[in-house]
Amino acid sequence: MKTASLREIKGSFGRYFAILAIIALGVGFFSGVRITTPAMIRNMDEFYSEHQLFDYRLVSTIGWDAKDVQMLAAQPDVRACEGAVSADLLCTEETGSKEFVIKAHSITENVNTLQLAQGRMPRKANECVLDAKMGGMKTNGSGSAAMIKVKSENDADTLDTLKYTEFTVVGYVHSPLYANFERGTTSLGTGSIDGFMYVMPEAFDTDYFTEIYVRFDQDEKIYSDEYKDYMEAHKKTWEMLARTRADARFDSIYGEAYIEISDGKDELEEKREDGQKELDDARNELDDARKKLSDADKELSDAKKEIDDGDEKLKDSKKKLSDAKKEIDENEKKLADAKDEFDRAKETLDNTKRTLDETGERLNEAQQQIESARAQIDAAEAELLARENEFAVSERELAAAEQAFIEQYGQYLDILDRLPEEQRAAIIAARSQLEQSRAQLEAARTQLSSARTQFDAQKSEFNSQKAQYEIGREQYENGVAQYNKGLEEYQSRLEEYEKGVKELEKGKAEYEKALKEYSKGEKELDKGKKEYEDGLKEYSDGRADYEDGLKEYNDGEREFDEKIADAERKISEAEDELEELKAPETFVLGRGTNIGYACFENDSQIVAQVARVFPVFFILVAALVCMTTMSRMVEEQRTQIGVFKALGYSNGTIMGKLMFYSGSAAVIGAVLGYAVGTVLFPRVIWMTYQLMYIPLEMKYLFDVQLAVISGAVSLICSLGTTWVSCRYELSETAASLMRPKAPKAGKRVLLERIPFIWKRMKFLHKVSIRNIFRYKKRLFMMIVGISGCTALLLTGFGLKDSVAGFADVQYGEIFVTDADMTFTPKNGTIPKKLKTRVEENTGEYKLIRECSFDLITEDATKAMTVIVPESFDGMGSFVKLRDAEGTPVSPPGAGQAIVSQSVEERYNVHKGDRIRLRDENMHEIEAVVSGVFENHVYNYVFLSAETFEEQSGDPPEFNGAFMNFEDGADGHKTAAVIAKSKSVKSITLYSELMDRMSKTMSSLNYVVLLVIVSAAGLAFIVLYNLTNINITERIREIATIKVLGFFRGETSAYVLRENIALTAFGTAVGLGLGILLHRFVMQQIVVDLVSFRVRILPLSYVYSIVLTFVFTFLVDLVMETKLERINMAESLKSVD
Amino acid sequence: MSFVEFRNVKKTYKTGEVEINALRDVTFEIEKGEFCVIVGASGAGKTTILNILGGMDTLTSGIATLDGVDISQLSKKELTAYRRYDVGFVFQFYNLVQNLTALENVELAAQICKDPLDAATVLEQVGLGERMKNFPAQLSGGEQQRVAIARALAKNPKLLLCDEPTGALDYNTGKAVLKLLQDTCRKKGMTVVVITHNSALAAMADRIITVKSGTVESMKKNRDIVDVENIEW
Repeated sequence: MKTASLREIKGSFGRYFAILAIIALGVGFFSGVRITTPAMIRNMDEFYSEHQLFDYRLVSTIGWDAKDVQMLAAQPDVRACEGAVSADLLCTEETGSKEFVIKAHSITENVNTLQLAQGRMPRKANECVLDAKMGGMKTNGSGSAAMIKVKSENDADTLDTLKYTEFTVVGYVHSPLYANFERGTTSLGTGSIDGFMYVMPEAFDTDYFTEIYVRFDQDEKIYSDEYKDYMEAHKKTWEMLARTRADARFDSIYGEAYIEISDGKDELEEKREDGQKELDDARNELDDARKKLSDADKELSDAKKEIDDGDEKLKDSKKKLSDAKKEIDENEKKLADAKDEFDRAKETLDNTKRTLDETGERLNEAQQQIESARAQIDAAEAELLARENEFAVSERELAAAEQAFIEQYGQYLDILDRLPEEQRAAIIAARSQLEQSRAQLEAARTQLSSARTQFDAQKSEFNSQKAQYEIGREQYENGVAQYNKGLEEYQSRLEEYEKGVKELEKGKAEYEKALKEYSKGEKELDKGKKEYEDGLKEYSDGRADYEDGLKEYNDGEREFDEKIADAERKISEAEDELEELKAPETFVLGRGTNIGYACFENDSQIVAQVARVFPVFFILVAALVCMTTMSRMVEEQRTQIGVFKALGYSNGTIMGKLMFYSGSAAVIGAVLGYAVGTVLFPRVIWMTYQLMYIPLEMKYLFDVQLAVISGAVSLICSLGTTWVSCRYELSETAASLMRPKAPKAGKRVLLERIPFIWKRMKFLHKVSIRNIFRYKKRLFMMIVGISGCTALLLTGFGLKDSVAGFADVQYGEIFVTDADMTFTPKNGTIPKKLKTRVEENTGEYKLIRECSFDLITEDATKAMTVIVPESFDGMGSFVKLRDAEGTPVSPPGAGQAIVSQSVEERYNVHKGDRIRLRDENMHEIEAVVSGVFENHVYNYVFLSAETFEEQSGDPPEFNGAFMNFEDGADGHKTAAVIAKSKSVKSITLYSELMDRMSKTMSSLNYVVLLVIVSAAGLAFIVLYNLTNINITERIREIATIKVLGFFRGETSAYVLRENIALTAFGTAVGLGLGILLHRFVMQQIVVDLVSFRVRILPLSYVYSIVLTFVFTFLVDLVMETKLERINMAESLKSVD
Repeated sequence: MSFVEFRNVKKTYKTGEVEINALRDVTFEIEKGEFCVIVGASGAGKTTILNILGGMDTLTSGIATLDGVDISQLSKKELTAYRRYDVGFVFQFYNLVQNLTALENVELAAQICKDPLDAATVLEQVGLGERMKNFPAQLSGGEQQRVAIARALAKNPKLLLCDEPTGALDYNTGKAVLKLLQDTCRKKGMTVVVITHNSALAAMADRIITVKSGTVESMKKNRDIVDVENIEW
């Protein structure tokens, strides 16, 4: 029987392997996914227990002292109890170019021990070990130790707590307090802590501890109920202890303070009295002095008055004197001037006189000339008249002669000719004589008239000369008159002058006298003055002495008052403080308050969540595979079972044989699956978790319970299905079993009732369709298997799209800016120098206020990055605000805010809701959400500058900027240039960020690969098994069609066409399932600060479909060779 | 040359070290249109002859021809074509496709042939005109065998090979099936080869080939052919 079983296995290895493989796959997936969460927790648990993570962190508002620690350490169940100090510091590295916020812790020895990642632990108080996360940016290439400098910008209290301001970095560590990447928040810098630093307790200069870490003497597993119970059991006691200790500390502090205050008060009183007395004495002395001084003052002022009077008088006389002098001088000058004038006038007069005299002379001469000329003229005239008279006589004579002649001539005329020649000649001679006379007369006349004319001319000239002379004469007469008048005037003036000179002399004498008098007065006054000066000086000295005394007194008094007031204030402050000193609050904080611890619990549960769905699916498939395989086997072995039965074997034995077959396959499969699954899955998944947690090696975890469950489930699966499959056959009699079972009747399918389609189909396609629907169970399984495969593939690829793609979307589509920068603002904005530098080196930039605010909701308080841009104009070149569908989100108006998608998803904040934001100084901002924008990394809230100002009261202080470099500029170089400016705190290049993010996310490829391999496995097993069953079951049919003359390809198509059709159908179903599954898985994967973009790229659909078909074709290829091997002689065999 | 000829056909099966001569020196011939019965006991080699003649198996040596074509020289693909176009099979257990109706079973064979007969007509000829749309499970054994015969005939083959056609049928039904085969031979001039262990059937054949221990014991022409109705076994 046993050999029969083994032979059976060998004979049908394909079938056996199918069971084995599907069980292995199911168990592998189930156990792998199931073990991951516990393995992760175990891993972390080991880390925590190795490094003795605290159980309690005790914090009180008044701190703790060594006594508290001692006392608490003595409590039962305490393994370790240590006080620790921590402080948030603003630091820089050596070059000072970058600023960080570092949380400094004191090293504890037995709790929260550190894991050294590199270097060594500090040996000196000025050495430190740094957060391993910061390792990359801190190591300087030379290998020498790096430095951490504490900036002087830290507040004084903080600086006081440290002994050093520079620490040498000697190593890098992982701390159990910081298991995940979050370092917490702070009120310093950007609001988030960049890393931690551990120093020796001696580096702190405090006399108290800020916290006490307690580790109980237990090693319960983290997150376990046992641990929770354990802690619950200690809770009350420890809360009480903490309160008691704090109260005691409070009382002692209070008491000490009280005594100190009352001592102070007494001392104050004493001192006050002494001081007062001293002051009073001094006062009296001063008053006396003052009186004396005031007497002297009066005397002096009298003297002063006298002197002043004298002075005044002198001044008057001096003025008068000078006036007189001035007058005299003036008069003298006037006189002199007058004299000058006189002299000049005299001269003029003399000149005039001389001229006049000359003129008179000349005139006299002229008169004489005229006289003579007149005489001449008169003579000439007389002559002329005589001549004229002569002429007139001559003329008259002539005329008479002429007349006579004419008369004679007339008389003669008649006798003329008769006259003898002599007469006639005489007449003619008379006549010519007459004529001659006439001509002579005429010439004389002419001569006369010319003489006349000449005379007239001379006469007129004479007349004109005479007129001229007359005028000259007149002028002269006038000149003489004038001269005489001037002379007269001169004489009178001269007299006046003489008089003035006399008066002046008199005035001068008077002046001299007065001057002498004045000099005497002056001398007297000087003497008085000097006397006064002496008196005054004496007085001033006295006065100064007094002032000094007074000042001294006042100073003393003020000092006294101040000191007293100061002392009083101090006392009252101390009293107030003491009064205000509330009973201290204590906090007993469990591990749940540690971010790393709490987050890890949640994060590790993600896999557990996913683990709920997948294994069920795989086990369902495994069960189905077992079921079909076993029922087929039972069917095949029907006759054999009958024979065994007939031979007398019991049902049990026969069942046992079948059970051995399926059971052994299941056991081997389960072992294999468990081994591979529990090794592979935790490792691959852990790899993806390394993004967020400290690097720990994944150790293999063997879970007996899980192993048993896996084994049991696979056995139940295989044995159960075997039993279900063969219980019916076994109940039949041997005889009926040996008869062949009637083959399953053919049936028409629904499609045939639609002749429209059915008639159009090819004959062989009809056959395939009918075959597909012939075995419903197999059809269902096939679809489950194929669709499962497609769904898994789609989920895998979609996972990659969603996770890997988010960095591309975040930094390629949303935050499209090239870089962002933070700087130390000056006057609320960018320092000028930096601004120029930025303007010179970037294409464009936008100032922003970036700060951290807590979002306050009903159930949570969560840190948000609040960004307040200078304006929202042109924001699109830096940050594209759009919703998940790609529609732009309009910038927030007054009193509005827009929030990132992650905020909406996680904190249930929707459009139209009112949100409250609070900063570390408890300033609150309230705004209505006006939009939700797509964003995948960090939680952002955008506010307008106006809203910020309105709500917080101050205009936003810009401390950052988005920058876009010029096209083609080297981002690194440009950033380096800008970073040279001292006020720059940091510059983040988004391209780098994107690379880093993508790189880290690429570890998800392993998960995707795992899913693809699983999907392929699933597809292969299901397809192979079902096709195998299909073929063995229909071997006669196949042999028959081969005999009928179907060619190789036709035969394959006849059988495998069904596979392809089912694959197509299964794929379609699988795509739908895949979308749902992907969505579910994405919902489970929640990484803090990162929100994935739930999406499946079109290419992923293509890949999923193509891969599913590829798997089908591969199976079909294998099956085709199997078909090829089918012997046609099978067709001749009888039905068994 | 006869329609079907076997000349010194030898078939050797090798299982590991052991060689079994299934056939040796088999020589016979069948004329066209004859109704031939190959008879022999279990293990005599008649099925091997059928396999070789039907193109389902190759021979080790010798010559086998059908209508002048040497089957022994055919490639695998040619053999398939040979089965497809030249031979019609009737199996002992009918080998109908359960998921196809009677008509569809006939069509299954007919649709791959060059010159098939109309499936429905053939079914009517075998007397199943009424039951064409029934699935095999709804038909009796005899009816199923008739469907099988119809399926073979629809291919319009050169040779009809029947392997124990009555083996799974009761006496009367078997007789009816044999009658159909005989009629087909007579009326259509179809060459029919029936392989059986039942020597009683030899009486209705034109030619009787007796096989024994892997070789032809005798081959003779039947002088007095008995009608099927009159055969008793």
